[in-house]
Amino acid sequence: MSGNQEMAERASEAETKSQQPASTPVDYPVGPASDFPPGSHRIVQVRTQEVGVFNVNGNLHALVNVCPHQYGPVCDGPVGGEMRCNASTGWKFQWSRDGEILICPWHGLEFDLTTGRCLAPKEMRLRKCKVNVVEGEVRVSLTGG
Amino acid sequence: MPVQSNRVASDGMVVVDCDIHVNDLPEFLAPHCEMPWRKSLEILGAAPRRYLDIPGYAPSFGLHPPIPGGHSARSVNTPQAMRDELDALGIDYGILLPDHLLLFATLPNIEYATALSHAYNRWLVAQWIQAGSGLYGAIMACPQNPEDSAKEIERYAGTPGICSVYLPTAGVDPLWGARRYDPILAAAEAADLPVILHSVTVTSPVFPAQINQFENHFGRQVIGHAFSMMANLVSIMHTGVPARYPKLKIVFTEAGVSWVPCMMWRMDRYHQEYRRTVPFLEERPSEYMRRQMWFATQPLDEPVNPKHLVETMEHYGGADRTLFASDWPHHDFDHPRGLAKLPLTQEQRRKIMGENALGLFKLPMPNRLSKREIHSA
Repeated sequence: MSGNQEMAERASEAETKSQQPASTPVDYPVGPASDFPPGSHRIVQVRTQEVGVFNVNGNLHALVNVCPHQYGPVCDGPVGGEMRCNASTGWKFQWSRDGEILICPWHGLEFDLTTGRCLAPKEMRLRKCKVNVVEGEVRVSLTGG
Repeated sequence: MPVQSNRVASDGMVVVDCDIHVNDLPEFLAPHCEMPWRKSLEILGAAPRRYLDIPGYAPSFGLHPPIPGGHSARSVNTPQAMRDELDALGIDYGILLPDHLLLFATLPNIEYATALSHAYNRWLVAQWIQAGSGLYGAIMACPQNPEDSAKEIERYAGTPGICSVYLPTAGVDPLWGARRYDPILAAAEAADLPVILHSVTVTSPVFPAQINQFENHFGRQVIGHAFSMMANLVSIMHTGVPARYPKLKIVFTEAGVSWVPCMMWRMDRYHQEYRRTVPFLEERPSEYMRRQMWFATQPLDEPVNPKHLVETMEHYGGADRTLFASDWPHHDFDHPRGLAKLPLTQEQRRKIMGENALGLFKLPMPNRLSKREIHSA
C-alpha cells in the first residue's frame, strides 16, 4: 500500500469512526510512559478512534486524528514551530515554539498542540482528549480534553 | 469486513475527477522520446531536481527561500497506486494530467517541445491508460507547434481511454484563443474531444505570469491560477473561439469557480459596448459559456457560509456547468467530502460529482453502479 493511499484510507476510517457516539468517560491505557519521551509523536488506537499523543516539553497532549478542514489525518503530519511576525517582533520574521505546532499533511493547516487551536482560522480547532499517566502508564480518555 | 471508507459515492453516485496528476519525471518519458531529445531527458533524469523545479523541463523562476514548516509534496508513480488512492478517496474515474509538464508551455525550444509532447502522449497511453482501470487520459497539446499538435490529436482520437485534450496554460504565450492555435482547437472539435485548460503557479515573463513582485507564495498562489484562467477565458472569447468552433467543449480547472461570474458579467457588459469589435460573437459571452464551457471545483472556494459558494455557482449555470475535481495528489487537493458541506440538492450533487463529466467525456457508467441498476430492476 502506498503512503498516499494509506493516508487517504486512514482519514476515511477516522472520519467514519468519529461519527460513533463517544464512550462514557473511561481512561484507556495506550502504553508505558517510556514510549512517549519528550518530542515524541505517536498515533494510538483508543477504542474505535485514532488519537495522536504528543509529548511537548514533558507534557502529554492527545488529539483526535481528524482535521476539521477536510477531515485529513492531521496527526500524521510533522511537528514544527510557529513563524511569527507582528508588532511584538518588530515586524521581523521570528521562528518560535519549535516542537509545539502540528502541521496537517493534507493542506498544511497548523495547529497549536497545547490547545488544539488552528493558527489561521482561530475558530477551527482539533478535538483534544484527556491524557494522563497512572502508575507509569499513559491513559487517554476520548472525552474531556 | 473492512471499515466502510465512507465514500461520497456510496449512495449510488458516480464520482468523476477531472483533474488528477501523474508523476512525469524526465527519466520516465525518456524511453518514449525521439532522438536526440531522448538524450536530453536522460541527462535531466540524472540531474538534481526539486518538485516542479527542473531546469529545461519544468522551469521554475525560483526566487524565494524555503520557509520551515509546511507539508511535503506528494506524487503518484504508477497506475496501480493511483487506482488504489482514488479508491480510498471514493473516486470512480480520474482524468490524468501531467505534473512537471504543467510548465510545458514555458519551454521555448520548438523541436524539443514537440518531441516532449509526443513522448508524454506515448508514455501516457502505454503506461497509464488501461482498460477498466477508470484512469482516462488527456492528450497534451503543444502550443509551441500547433500544426504538429493537430496531427497528434488526430493520431490519438479514438484511442480507448483518451477522453480529452490538455491545453498547457501556465505561462502560455500568446494566450489560448490566439489565432495561431486554431489548428489545435479545430482538431479537438473534429475529434469531439473536450479541451482542458490547466495552469500552475509559475513566474514567467509573460502575461499574466509576471508575478515575481510577490514576496511569498501566498500571493503567487492566490493570483497564479485564477489570473491565468481569467486571462485565457477572455482571450478565448475575444477571438470568438466558441462561435468559430461551436462544438468545441472547454473546461477550466484548478482555479476554483468564484472568478467565473466576475469575468462573465464584465464580458457581457463590454460586449454591449464593443460588439462591433467582436462581431463574431452573435450572442452574449455568457450564452457561449453556458453552452460550451465547464468549470472545475478545485481548489474549492471556502466562504465561511458554504451557501455563498452555491449561490456564486448559480450565476454561471450552477450544477449544470460545474465539474468535481480533486487535484490529487497535490498539496491543495480536495477530498470529495469537501463538497459535502455545500447545500446542494441531490440532483445537483450528482451532476457535479460525476454525471456532467460522464456526458462531457463520454464515459460509461461504472460497473459498480450499472450492476446495482440491474439488481434493482
